[in-house]
Amino acid sequence: MLLEVEELTKRYKRGATRANDSVNLTVDAGQVYGLLGHNGAGKTTLVNQIVGLIRPDAGSIWIDGRDVVADPGFARRACSIQPQSQVPIDGLTPRQAIETLGRLRGGRPDSVRERSARLVEALDLGEWLDVDGARLSGGVKRLVSFCMAAVEPGKVVILDEPTNDVDPVRRRLLWAQVRSLADEGAAVLLVTHNVIEAERSVDRLAILDHGRVLTEGTTAELKAGIADELRLELVLDPETGRIETPQFTGPHTVVGNRIVATVPARMAGEAATWARDLRRAGRIEEFSLAPATLEDAYVALVGSTSATATPTAVSSEEEIDVRAA
Amino acid sequence: MSALRSYRLLVTWQARRMKMFLPLGIMVQALFALGIVAGYPLLFPTIDKTTILYLATGGPVIALVTMGLVAVPQMVSAAKTEGTLAYMRTLPIPRVVYLLADMTVWLTVVLPGVALAVVIGSIRFGLDLQISPLVIPAVILVALTATSIGYALASLVPPMVANMASQVLVVFILMFSPLNFPADRLPGWLAAIHSVLPIQAMGEVMRGTLASNSFPITVGAFALLGVWCVASFAATSVVLTRRA
Repeated sequence: MLLEVEELTKRYKRGATRANDSVNLTVDAGQVYGLLGHNGAGKTTLVNQIVGLIRPDAGSIWIDGRDVVADPGFARRACSIQPQSQVPIDGLTPRQAIETLGRLRGGRPDSVRERSARLVEALDLGEWLDVDGARLSGGVKRLVSFCMAAVEPGKVVILDEPTNDVDPVRRRLLWAQVRSLADEGAAVLLVTHNVIEAERSVDRLAILDHGRVLTEGTTAELKAGIADELRLELVLDPETGRIETPQFTGPHTVVGNRIVATVPARMAGEAATWARDLRRAGRIEEFSLAPATLEDAYVALVGSTSATATPTAVSSEEEIDVRAA
Repeated sequence: MSALRSYRLLVTWQARRMKMFLPLGIMVQALFALGIVAGYPLLFPTIDKTTILYLATGGPVIALVTMGLVAVPQMVSAAKTEGTLAYMRTLPIPRVVYLLADMTVWLTVVLPGVALAVVIGSIRFGLDLQISPLVIPAVILVALTATSIGYALASLVPPMVANMASQVLVVFILMFSPLNFPADRLPGWLAAIHSVLPIQAMGEVMRGTLASNSFPITVGAFALLGVWCVASFAATSVVLTRRA
Protein backbone atom coordinates (compact mmCIF):
# COMPACT_ATOMS: atom_id res chain seq x y z
CA MET A 1 0.00 0.00 0.00
CA LEU A 2 1.33 3.41 -0.91
CA LEU A 3 -0.57 5.39 1.72
CA GLU A 4 -1.52 3.86 5.05
CA VAL A 5 -3.30 5.74 7.80
CA GLU A 6 -3.67 3.86 11.08
CA GLU A 7 -5.74 4.84 14.09
CA LEU A 8 -5.16 8.52 13.38
CA THR A 9 -6.53 10.81 16.07
CA LYS A 10 -6.37 14.58 16.31
CA ARG A 11 -8.08 17.05 18.57
CA TYR A 12 -7.33 20.76 18.30
CA LYS A 13 -7.77 21.61 21.96
CA ARG A 14 -7.57 19.51 25.07
CA GLY A 15 -10.97 18.11 25.82
CA ALA A 16 -12.41 19.32 22.52
CA THR A 17 -14.20 16.89 20.23
CA ARG A 18 -11.92 14.87 18.00
CA ALA A 19 -11.45 16.29 14.51
CA ASN A 20 -10.16 12.83 13.57
CA ASP A 21 -11.01 9.82 15.68
CA SER A 22 -9.11 6.56 15.06
CA VAL A 23 -9.18 6.95 11.29
CA ASN A 24 -7.94 3.97 9.26
CA LEU A 25 -7.56 3.91 5.51
CA THR A 26 -5.21 2.64 2.83
CA VAL A 27 -4.74 3.81 -0.73
CA ASP A 28 -2.82 1.81 -3.29
CA ALA A 29 -0.91 2.98 -6.33
CA GLY A 30 -3.24 3.33 -9.29
CA GLN A 31 -6.26 3.94 -7.07
CA VAL A 32 -8.57 6.94 -6.83
CA TYR A 33 -9.76 6.97 -3.25
CA GLY A 34 -12.66 9.21 -2.28
CA LEU A 35 -12.95 10.83 1.12
CA LEU A 36 -16.54 11.94 1.59
CA GLY A 37 -18.22 13.80 4.36
CA HIS A 38 -20.11 16.87 5.50
CA ASN A 39 -18.38 20.18 6.03
CA GLY A 40 -16.44 19.79 9.26
CA ALA A 41 -16.35 15.99 9.09
CA GLY A 42 -12.56 16.05 9.46
CA LYS A 43 -11.50 15.59 5.83
CA THR A 44 -9.12 18.54 5.58
CA THR A 45 -7.68 17.81 9.05
CA LEU A 46 -6.79 14.34 7.79
CA VAL A 47 -5.16 15.75 4.65
CA ASN A 48 -3.16 18.32 6.62
CA GLN A 49 -1.75 15.55 8.81
CA ILE A 50 -0.73 13.50 5.79
CA VAL A 51 1.22 16.41 4.26
CA GLY A 52 2.80 17.31 7.60
CA LEU A 53 1.09 20.64 8.32
CA ILE A 54 -0.52 19.24 11.48
CA ARG A 55 0.90 16.74 13.95
CA PRO A 56 -1.42 13.90 14.93
CA ASP A 57 -2.14 13.25 18.62
CA ALA A 58 -2.06 9.51 18.06
CA GLY A 59 -1.81 6.99 15.26
CA SER A 60 0.53 6.71 12.30
CA ILE A 61 0.79 7.62 8.65
CA TRP A 62 2.98 5.65 6.26
CA ILE A 63 3.80 6.63 2.71
CA ASP A 64 5.63 4.02 0.66
CA GLY A 65 6.65 2.31 3.89
CA ARG A 66 8.03 5.44 5.56
CA ASP A 67 6.71 6.95 8.76
CA VAL A 68 5.85 10.51 7.70
CA VAL A 69 4.78 11.67 11.14
CA ALA A 70 8.45 11.32 12.06
CA ASP A 71 9.64 12.62 8.68
CA PRO A 72 7.26 15.31 7.37
CA GLY A 73 9.90 16.40 4.85
CA PHE A 74 9.45 13.07 3.09
CA ALA A 75 5.69 13.60 3.06
CA ARG A 76 6.14 16.89 1.22
CA ARG A 77 8.35 15.25 -1.38
CA ALA A 78 6.00 12.28 -1.76
CA CYS A 79 2.70 14.20 -1.87
CA SER A 80 1.54 16.83 -4.28
CA ILE A 81 -1.54 18.65 -3.15
CA GLN A 82 -4.29 20.81 -4.54
CA PRO A 83 -5.57 22.62 -1.45
CA GLN A 84 -9.21 23.39 -0.83
CA SER A 85 -8.59 27.13 -0.74
CA GLN A 86 -7.55 28.90 -3.91
CA VAL A 87 -3.79 29.08 -4.45
CA PRO A 88 -3.00 32.78 -4.86
CA ILE A 89 -1.32 33.26 -8.24
CA ASP A 90 -1.97 36.97 -8.82
CA GLY A 91 0.90 38.35 -10.84
CA LEU A 92 1.73 34.97 -12.38
CA THR A 93 0.29 33.48 -15.53
CA PRO A 94 -0.98 29.88 -15.44
CA ARG A 95 2.00 28.88 -17.56
CA GLN A 96 4.46 30.41 -15.08
CA ALA A 97 2.65 29.00 -12.06
CA ILE A 98 2.37 25.45 -13.39
CA GLU A 99 5.92 25.28 -14.76
CA THR A 100 7.45 26.79 -11.61
CA LEU A 101 5.65 24.23 -9.45
CA GLY A 102 6.89 21.43 -11.69
CA ARG A 103 10.46 22.70 -11.34
CA LEU A 104 10.10 23.21 -7.58
CA ARG A 105 8.96 19.61 -7.30
CA GLY A 106 12.17 18.58 -9.02
CA GLY A 107 11.03 18.20 -12.63
CA ARG A 108 13.44 18.83 -15.51
CA PRO A 109 12.63 21.98 -17.51
CA ASP A 110 11.81 20.28 -20.80
CA SER A 111 9.68 17.52 -19.31
CA VAL A 112 7.84 20.01 -17.10
CA ARG A 113 7.13 22.21 -20.11
CA GLU A 114 5.91 19.25 -22.11
CA ARG A 115 3.69 17.87 -19.35
CA SER A 116 2.32 21.30 -18.51
CA ALA A 117 1.34 21.83 -22.15
CA ARG A 118 -0.38 18.43 -22.17
CA LEU A 119 -2.43 19.22 -19.07
CA VAL A 120 -3.40 22.66 -20.34
CA GLU A 121 -4.57 21.15 -23.59
CA ALA A 122 -6.44 18.31 -21.89
CA LEU A 123 -8.32 20.77 -19.66
CA ASP A 124 -8.88 23.24 -22.51
CA LEU A 125 -7.13 26.09 -20.69
CA GLY A 126 -5.14 27.35 -23.69
CA GLU A 127 -6.85 30.72 -23.97
CA TRP A 128 -5.82 31.67 -20.42
CA LEU A 129 -2.29 30.29 -20.55
CA ASP A 130 -0.62 33.70 -20.56
CA VAL A 131 -3.25 35.74 -18.71
CA ASP A 132 -2.34 37.22 -15.32
CA GLY A 133 -3.75 35.15 -12.45
CA ALA A 134 -5.50 38.20 -11.02
CA ARG A 135 -7.80 38.25 -14.07
CA LEU A 136 -8.77 34.56 -14.00
CA SER A 137 -12.17 33.27 -12.90
CA GLY A 138 -12.47 31.03 -9.84
CA GLY A 139 -13.01 27.92 -11.93
CA VAL A 140 -9.97 28.54 -14.12
CA LYS A 141 -7.84 29.20 -11.05
CA ARG A 142 -9.04 25.91 -9.56
CA LEU A 143 -8.01 24.07 -12.72
CA VAL A 144 -4.62 25.80 -12.72
CA SER A 145 -4.19 24.71 -9.13
CA PHE A 146 -4.97 21.13 -10.20
CA CYS A 147 -2.31 21.39 -12.92
CA MET A 148 0.16 22.65 -10.31
CA ALA A 149 -0.45 19.45 -8.32
CA ALA A 150 -0.41 17.20 -11.39
CA VAL A 151 2.47 18.61 -13.44
CA GLU A 152 5.13 16.76 -11.44
CA PRO A 153 2.91 14.53 -9.33
CA GLY A 154 4.04 12.92 -6.10
CA LYS A 155 3.54 9.25 -5.34
CA VAL A 156 0.44 10.43 -3.52
CA VAL A 157 -1.70 13.14 -5.13
CA ILE A 158 -4.18 14.84 -2.82
CA LEU A 159 -7.04 16.79 -4.37
CA ASP A 160 -9.23 18.73 -1.95
CA GLU A 161 -12.55 19.63 -3.62
CA PRO A 162 -10.94 19.91 -7.09
CA THR A 163 -14.15 20.60 -9.00
CA ASN A 164 -15.45 23.56 -6.97
CA ASP A 165 -16.34 26.47 -9.27
CA VAL A 166 -15.45 24.45 -12.39
CA ASP A 167 -17.88 24.43 -15.32
CA PRO A 168 -19.68 21.15 -16.22
CA VAL A 169 -17.73 20.51 -19.42
CA ARG A 170 -14.32 21.01 -17.86
CA ARG A 171 -15.36 18.94 -14.82
CA ARG A 172 -15.53 15.95 -17.11
CA LEU A 173 -12.14 16.78 -18.58
CA LEU A 174 -10.79 17.13 -15.05
CA TRP A 175 -12.12 13.73 -13.96
CA ALA A 176 -10.39 12.17 -16.96
CA GLN A 177 -7.12 13.71 -15.82
CA VAL A 178 -7.65 12.51 -12.25
CA ARG A 179 -8.09 9.02 -13.63
CA SER A 180 -4.97 9.23 -15.74
CA LEU A 181 -2.94 10.35 -12.71
CA ALA A 182 -3.92 7.07 -11.07
CA ASP A 183 -3.30 5.13 -14.27
CA GLU A 184 0.23 6.53 -14.32
CA GLY A 185 0.78 5.02 -10.88
CA ALA A 186 -0.14 7.68 -8.34
CA ALA A 187 -2.32 7.01 -5.32
CA VAL A 188 -4.99 9.71 -5.61
CA LEU A 189 -6.78 10.83 -2.48
CA LEU A 190 -9.84 12.79 -3.50
CA VAL A 191 -11.61 14.88 -0.87
CA THR A 192 -15.12 15.95 -1.75
CA HIS A 193 -18.65 16.43 -0.55
CA ASN A 194 -19.94 15.99 -4.07
CA VAL A 195 -21.27 12.47 -3.76
CA ILE A 196 -22.66 12.11 -7.26
CA GLU A 197 -19.36 13.00 -8.91
CA ALA A 198 -17.45 10.78 -6.51
CA GLU A 199 -19.61 7.82 -7.45
CA ARG A 200 -18.54 8.12 -11.07
CA SER A 201 -14.87 8.69 -10.36
CA VAL A 202 -13.51 6.76 -7.39
CA ASP A 203 -12.39 3.17 -7.00
CA ARG A 204 -12.90 3.07 -3.24
CA LEU A 205 -14.14 5.54 -0.73
CA ALA A 206 -14.57 6.25 2.94
CA ILE A 207 -17.35 8.27 4.49
CA LEU A 208 -16.19 10.46 7.33
CA ASP A 209 -18.58 11.84 9.91
CA HIS A 210 -17.64 13.71 13.07
CA GLY A 211 -14.05 12.63 12.60
CA ARG A 212 -14.79 8.90 12.33
CA VAL A 213 -14.84 6.60 9.32
CA LEU A 214 -18.45 5.48 9.15
CA THR A 215 -17.87 3.03 6.35
CA GLU A 216 -15.30 2.17 3.75
CA GLY A 217 -15.32 0.17 0.53
CA THR A 218 -16.06 0.25 -3.18
CA THR A 219 -19.13 2.17 -4.34
CA ALA A 220 -20.87 -1.15 -5.00
CA GLU A 221 -20.10 -2.33 -1.47
CA LEU A 222 -21.40 0.89 0.01
CA LYS A 223 -24.55 0.65 -2.03
CA ALA A 224 -25.08 -2.99 -1.03
CA GLY A 225 -27.14 -1.89 1.97
CA ILE A 226 -29.62 -0.21 -0.35
CA ALA A 227 -29.27 -2.63 -3.27
CA ASP A 228 -32.94 -3.57 -3.07
CA GLU A 229 -34.07 0.01 -3.10
CA LEU A 230 -35.02 2.44 -5.81
CA ARG A 231 -34.87 6.19 -5.78
CA LEU A 232 -38.14 7.98 -6.46
CA GLU A 233 -37.86 11.66 -7.25
CA LEU A 234 -40.90 13.91 -7.68
CA VAL A 235 -40.92 17.46 -8.99
CA LEU A 236 -43.97 19.13 -7.50
CA ASP A 237 -46.20 21.53 -9.34
CA PRO A 238 -45.69 24.94 -7.67
CA GLU A 239 -49.45 25.12 -6.99
CA THR A 240 -49.47 21.76 -5.20
CA GLY A 241 -49.58 21.70 -1.44
CA ARG A 242 -48.23 18.81 0.60
CA ILE A 243 -48.17 15.34 -0.84
CA GLU A 244 -48.73 12.40 1.46
CA THR A 245 -46.22 9.73 0.54
CA PRO A 246 -47.54 6.18 0.61
CA GLN A 247 -46.57 3.66 3.27
CA PHE A 248 -44.14 1.79 1.04
CA THR A 249 -41.73 4.74 0.63
CA GLY A 250 -38.80 5.10 2.97
CA PRO A 251 -37.68 8.32 4.67
CA HIS A 252 -37.80 11.22 2.24
CA THR A 253 -36.07 14.57 1.88
CA VAL A 254 -37.68 17.72 0.53
CA VAL A 255 -35.82 20.59 -1.07
CA GLY A 256 -37.74 23.33 -2.79
CA ASN A 257 -40.24 21.61 -5.05
CA ARG A 258 -38.42 18.26 -5.12
CA ILE A 259 -39.10 15.21 -3.01
CA VAL A 260 -36.66 12.29 -2.98
CA ALA A 261 -37.63 9.02 -1.29
CA THR A 262 -36.47 5.43 -1.40
CA VAL A 263 -38.81 2.69 -2.51
CA PRO A 264 -38.27 -1.09 -2.14
CA ALA A 265 -37.56 -2.58 -5.56
CA ARG A 266 -40.48 -5.03 -5.24
CA MET A 267 -42.84 -2.04 -4.97
CA ALA A 268 -41.58 -0.48 -8.22
CA GLY A 269 -44.87 -1.09 -10.02
CA GLU A 270 -46.96 0.48 -7.27
CA ALA A 271 -44.62 3.46 -6.98
CA ALA A 272 -44.72 4.09 -10.73
CA THR A 273 -48.51 3.87 -10.81
CA TRP A 274 -48.84 6.21 -7.84
CA ALA A 275 -46.49 8.78 -9.39
CA ARG A 276 -48.14 8.51 -12.80
CA ASP A 277 -51.54 9.17 -11.23
CA LEU A 278 -50.14 12.25 -9.47
CA ARG A 279 -48.83 13.57 -12.77
CA ARG A 280 -52.12 12.92 -14.52
CA ALA A 281 -53.86 14.81 -11.76
CA GLY A 282 -51.44 17.69 -12.39
CA ARG A 283 -50.05 17.59 -8.87
CA ILE A 284 -46.47 16.89 -9.98
CA GLU A 285 -44.61 18.08 -13.06
CA GLU A 286 -42.46 15.01 -13.48
CA PHE A 287 -41.01 12.03 -11.67
CA SER A 288 -38.22 9.54 -12.02
CA LEU A 289 -37.71 6.07 -10.63
CA ALA A 290 -34.15 4.81 -10.78
CA PRO A 291 -31.66 2.58 -8.96
CA ALA A 292 -30.63 4.10 -5.64
CA THR A 293 -27.39 6.07 -5.85
CA LEU A 294 -24.37 6.44 -3.64
CA GLU A 295 -25.98 9.64 -2.46
CA ASP A 296 -28.94 7.71 -1.09
CA ALA A 297 -26.54 5.36 0.70
CA TYR A 298 -24.69 8.39 2.03
CA VAL A 299 -27.85 10.05 3.31
CA ALA A 300 -28.99 6.80 4.87
CA LEU A 301 -25.65 6.45 6.66
CA VAL A 302 -24.79 9.98 7.68
CA GLY A 303 -28.37 11.01 8.20
CA SER A 304 -29.05 8.24 10.66
CA THR A 305 -25.94 8.87 12.75
CA SER A 306 -25.99 12.65 12.87
CA ALA A 307 -28.00 13.63 15.88
CA THR A 308 -27.73 17.33 15.14
CA ALA A 309 -27.49 17.38 11.38
CA THR A 310 -30.54 16.98 9.23
CA PRO A 311 -29.47 16.02 5.75
CA THR A 312 -31.18 17.73 2.89
CA ALA A 313 -30.71 17.04 -0.75
CA VAL A 314 -29.92 20.06 -2.86
CA SER A 315 -30.17 19.43 -6.53
CA SER A 316 -29.36 21.18 -9.72
CA GLU A 317 -28.98 19.82 -13.21
CA GLU A 318 -25.33 19.05 -12.89
CA GLU A 319 -24.67 18.14 -9.31
CA ILE A 320 -26.25 17.08 -6.11
CA ASP A 321 -24.47 18.04 -2.95
CA VAL A 322 -25.34 16.70 0.42
CA ARG A 323 -24.77 19.05 3.29
CA ALA A 324 -25.56 19.40 6.91
CA ALA A 325 -28.47 21.76 7.27
CA MET B 1 22.28 22.27 -5.81
CA SER B 2 18.55 21.74 -5.63
CA ALA B 3 18.33 24.25 -2.77
CA LEU B 4 19.95 26.85 -5.01
CA ARG B 5 17.52 26.06 -7.81
CA SER B 6 14.56 26.30 -5.42
CA TYR B 7 15.92 29.63 -4.21
CA ARG B 8 16.17 30.97 -7.75
CA LEU B 9 12.68 29.76 -8.66
CA LEU B 10 11.16 31.18 -5.48
CA VAL B 11 12.80 34.58 -5.95
CA THR B 12 11.34 34.71 -9.46
CA TRP B 13 7.96 33.52 -8.15
CA GLN B 14 7.81 36.13 -5.39
CA ALA B 15 9.10 38.91 -7.64
CA ARG B 16 6.38 38.11 -10.17
CA ARG B 17 3.73 37.92 -7.46
CA MET B 18 4.81 41.34 -6.25
CA LYS B 19 5.50 42.88 -9.63
CA MET B 20 2.73 45.45 -9.26
CA PHE B 21 3.98 46.33 -5.82
CA LEU B 22 7.72 46.26 -6.51
CA PRO B 23 8.16 49.61 -8.35
CA LEU B 24 5.75 51.28 -5.92
CA GLY B 25 7.49 49.74 -2.92
CA ILE B 26 10.90 50.84 -4.19
CA MET B 27 9.57 54.38 -4.70
CA VAL B 28 7.94 54.56 -1.29
CA GLN B 29 11.06 53.27 0.42
CA ALA B 30 13.20 55.79 -1.48
CA LEU B 31 10.83 58.62 -0.54
CA PHE B 32 10.87 57.47 3.05
CA ALA B 33 14.65 57.44 3.28
CA LEU B 34 14.83 60.77 1.47
CA GLY B 35 12.22 62.30 3.73
CA ILE B 36 14.30 61.53 6.78
CA VAL B 37 17.52 62.88 5.29
CA ALA B 38 15.99 65.97 3.68
CA GLY B 39 12.91 66.58 5.82
CA TYR B 40 14.19 66.15 9.37
CA PRO B 41 16.63 69.08 9.15
CA LEU B 42 13.56 71.34 8.88
CA LEU B 43 12.96 70.62 12.57
CA PHE B 44 16.14 72.41 13.53
CA PRO B 45 16.82 76.13 13.06
CA THR B 46 20.56 75.58 13.10
CA ILE B 47 22.14 72.29 12.45
CA ASP B 48 25.59 71.08 13.42
CA LYS B 49 27.75 68.54 11.70
CA THR B 50 27.04 65.72 14.15
CA THR B 51 23.30 66.13 13.71
CA ILE B 52 23.72 66.12 9.95
CA LEU B 53 25.78 62.97 10.11
CA TYR B 54 23.20 61.27 12.31
CA LEU B 55 20.45 62.19 9.87
CA ALA B 56 22.38 61.18 6.77
CA THR B 57 23.27 57.78 8.21
CA GLY B 58 20.04 57.29 10.19
CA GLY B 59 17.82 57.57 7.09
CA PRO B 60 19.10 54.39 5.45
CA VAL B 61 18.85 52.44 8.73
CA ILE B 62 15.28 53.57 9.31
CA ALA B 63 14.38 52.51 5.77
CA LEU B 64 15.86 49.05 6.39
CA VAL B 65 14.33 48.64 9.85
CA THR B 66 10.84 49.80 8.92
CA MET B 67 10.90 47.51 5.90
CA GLY B 68 11.64 44.53 8.14
CA LEU B 69 9.55 45.37 11.16
CA VAL B 70 6.60 47.13 9.51
CA ALA B 71 6.19 46.19 5.84
CA VAL B 72 7.24 42.56 6.25
CA PRO B 73 4.73 41.72 9.02
CA GLN B 74 1.99 43.31 6.94
CA MET B 75 2.92 41.33 3.84
CA VAL B 76 3.40 38.07 5.73
CA SER B 77 0.03 38.56 7.44
CA ALA B 78 -1.54 39.04 4.02
CA ALA B 79 0.17 35.87 2.74
CA LYS B 80 -1.13 34.04 5.79
CA THR B 81 -4.68 35.28 5.24
CA GLU B 82 -4.78 34.44 1.55
CA GLY B 83 -3.28 30.98 2.09
CA THR B 84 0.07 31.44 0.32
CA LEU B 85 2.03 30.59 3.44
CA ALA B 86 0.19 27.30 4.07
CA TYR B 87 0.49 26.35 0.40
CA MET B 88 4.23 27.05 0.35
CA ARG B 89 4.57 24.89 3.46
CA THR B 90 3.23 21.88 1.52
CA LEU B 91 5.98 22.15 -1.10
CA PRO B 92 9.23 20.18 -0.88
CA ILE B 93 11.34 23.27 -0.23
CA PRO B 94 13.57 23.81 2.82
CA ARG B 95 11.95 26.53 4.94
CA VAL B 96 15.22 28.43 5.16
CA VAL B 97 15.33 28.65 1.37
CA TYR B 98 11.80 30.03 1.30
CA LEU B 99 12.70 32.58 3.95
CA LEU B 100 15.89 33.64 2.17
CA ALA B 101 14.05 34.02 -1.15
CA ASP B 102 11.45 36.27 0.47
CA MET B 103 14.16 38.34 2.11
CA THR B 104 15.99 38.73 -1.17
CA VAL B 105 12.92 40.26 -2.77
CA TRP B 106 12.36 42.61 0.16
CA LEU B 107 16.02 43.65 0.15
CA THR B 108 15.61 44.51 -3.53
CA VAL B 109 12.72 46.77 -2.61
CA VAL B 110 14.59 48.61 0.11
CA LEU B 111 18.16 48.83 -1.24
CA PRO B 112 17.66 51.48 -3.93
CA GLY B 113 16.12 53.77 -1.32
CA VAL B 114 18.99 53.15 1.06
CA ALA B 115 21.58 53.96 -1.60
CA LEU B 116 19.66 57.03 -2.77
CA ALA B 117 19.39 58.36 0.78
CA VAL B 118 23.14 58.05 1.25
CA VAL B 119 23.90 59.80 -2.04
CA ILE B 120 21.35 62.60 -1.59
CA GLY B 121 22.39 63.08 2.05
CA SER B 122 26.03 63.51 1.19
CA ILE B 123 25.28 65.89 -1.70
CA ARG B 124 22.69 67.94 0.23
CA PHE B 125 24.97 68.49 3.21
CA GLY B 126 28.26 68.40 1.32
CA LEU B 127 29.41 65.42 3.37
CA ASP B 128 32.51 63.47 2.57
CA LEU B 129 31.37 60.03 3.75
CA GLN B 130 34.09 57.44 4.03
CA ILE B 131 32.19 54.26 3.24
CA SER B 132 33.83 51.10 4.53
CA PRO B 133 33.52 47.82 2.60
CA LEU B 134 32.02 46.45 5.81
CA VAL B 135 28.85 48.30 4.81
CA ILE B 136 27.83 45.27 2.73
CA PRO B 137 27.78 42.76 5.61
CA ALA B 138 26.27 45.51 7.78
CA VAL B 139 23.35 46.09 5.41
CA ILE B 140 22.76 42.34 5.04
CA LEU B 141 22.92 41.79 8.79
CA VAL B 142 20.51 44.65 9.51
CA ALA B 143 18.08 43.57 6.79
CA LEU B 144 18.20 39.89 7.77
CA THR B 145 17.64 40.66 11.43
CA ALA B 146 14.82 43.13 10.85
CA THR B 147 12.99 40.90 8.37
CA SER B 148 13.44 37.80 10.56
CA ILE B 149 11.93 39.57 13.54
CA GLY B 150 9.11 40.92 11.38
CA TYR B 151 8.51 37.48 9.91
CA ALA B 152 8.45 35.80 13.32
CA LEU B 153 6.05 38.45 14.63
CA ALA B 154 3.64 37.94 11.73
CA SER B 155 3.88 34.15 11.92
CA LEU B 156 3.20 33.99 15.65
CA VAL B 157 0.26 36.37 16.10
CA PRO B 158 -3.05 36.84 14.24
CA PRO B 159 -2.91 39.24 11.25
CA MET B 160 -4.84 42.01 13.03
CA VAL B 161 -2.46 41.99 15.97
CA ALA B 162 0.58 41.91 13.68
CA ASN B 163 -0.69 44.99 11.84
CA MET B 164 -1.32 46.88 15.08
CA ALA B 165 2.06 45.87 16.47
CA SER B 166 3.78 47.11 13.34
CA GLN B 167 2.08 50.52 13.72
CA VAL B 168 3.34 50.79 17.29
CA LEU B 169 6.81 49.77 16.13
CA VAL B 170 6.89 52.62 13.59
CA VAL B 171 6.44 55.18 16.33
CA PHE B 172 8.96 53.45 18.56
CA ILE B 173 11.57 53.27 15.80
CA LEU B 174 11.08 56.81 14.47
CA MET B 175 10.76 58.69 17.74
CA PHE B 176 12.26 56.67 20.54
CA SER B 177 15.20 54.84 19.01
CA PRO B 178 18.72 56.26 18.86
CA LEU B 179 19.01 56.19 15.08
CA ASN B 180 18.76 59.87 14.21
CA PHE B 181 20.30 61.03 17.48
CA PRO B 182 22.90 59.77 19.98
CA ALA B 183 21.79 57.26 22.59
CA ASP B 184 22.88 59.50 25.47
CA ARG B 185 19.86 61.74 24.85
CA LEU B 186 17.53 58.95 25.94
CA PRO B 187 16.34 58.64 29.54
CA GLY B 188 18.39 56.05 31.44
CA TRP B 189 15.77 53.31 31.50
CA LEU B 190 15.09 53.57 27.77
CA ALA B 191 18.82 53.61 27.04
CA ALA B 192 19.14 50.43 29.12
CA ILE B 193 16.40 48.75 27.08
CA HIS B 194 18.04 49.86 23.85
CA SER B 195 21.38 48.47 24.93
CA VAL B 196 19.96 44.95 24.55
CA LEU B 197 17.49 45.52 21.69
CA PRO B 198 18.92 45.28 18.17
CA ILE B 199 17.79 48.72 16.89
CA GLN B 200 20.61 50.75 18.41
CA ALA B 201 23.16 48.20 17.20
CA MET B 202 21.66 48.46 13.71
CA GLY B 203 22.22 52.20 13.81
CA GLU B 204 25.78 51.79 15.06
CA VAL B 205 26.93 49.30 12.46
CA MET B 206 25.43 51.37 9.64
CA ARG B 207 26.85 54.65 10.95
CA GLY B 208 30.26 53.12 11.52
CA THR B 209 30.45 51.66 8.04
CA LEU B 210 28.83 54.58 6.14
CA ALA B 211 30.89 57.31 7.87
CA SER B 212 33.93 55.45 9.11
CA ASN B 213 35.85 58.71 9.41
CA SER B 214 33.39 60.05 12.00
CA PHE B 215 32.00 57.01 13.85
CA PRO B 216 33.73 53.91 15.19
CA ILE B 217 32.99 50.47 13.82
CA THR B 218 32.23 48.66 17.05
CA VAL B 219 32.69 44.92 17.31
CA GLY B 220 30.18 44.87 20.16
CA ALA B 221 27.37 46.21 17.95
CA PHE B 222 28.17 43.67 15.22
CA ALA B 223 28.22 40.90 17.81
CA LEU B 224 24.91 41.90 19.41
CA LEU B 225 23.31 42.19 16.01
CA GLY B 226 24.77 38.83 15.01
CA VAL B 227 23.17 37.20 18.04
CA TRP B 228 19.79 38.79 17.25
CA CYS B 229 20.11 37.80 13.61
CA VAL B 230 20.86 34.13 14.32
CA ALA B 231 18.23 33.92 17.06
CA SER B 232 15.45 35.57 15.08
CA PHE B 233 16.27 33.66 11.90
CA ALA B 234 16.26 30.38 13.83
CA ALA B 235 13.01 31.31 15.58
CA THR B 236 11.36 32.14 12.27
CA SER B 237 12.54 28.88 10.71
CA VAL B 238 11.12 26.97 13.67
CA VAL B 239 7.82 28.86 13.45
CA LEU B 240 7.60 28.05 9.74
CA THR B 241 8.37 24.37 10.31
CA ARG B 242 6.13 23.97 13.34
CA ARG B 243 3.16 21.62 13.02
CA ALA B 244 -0.04 22.62 14.76
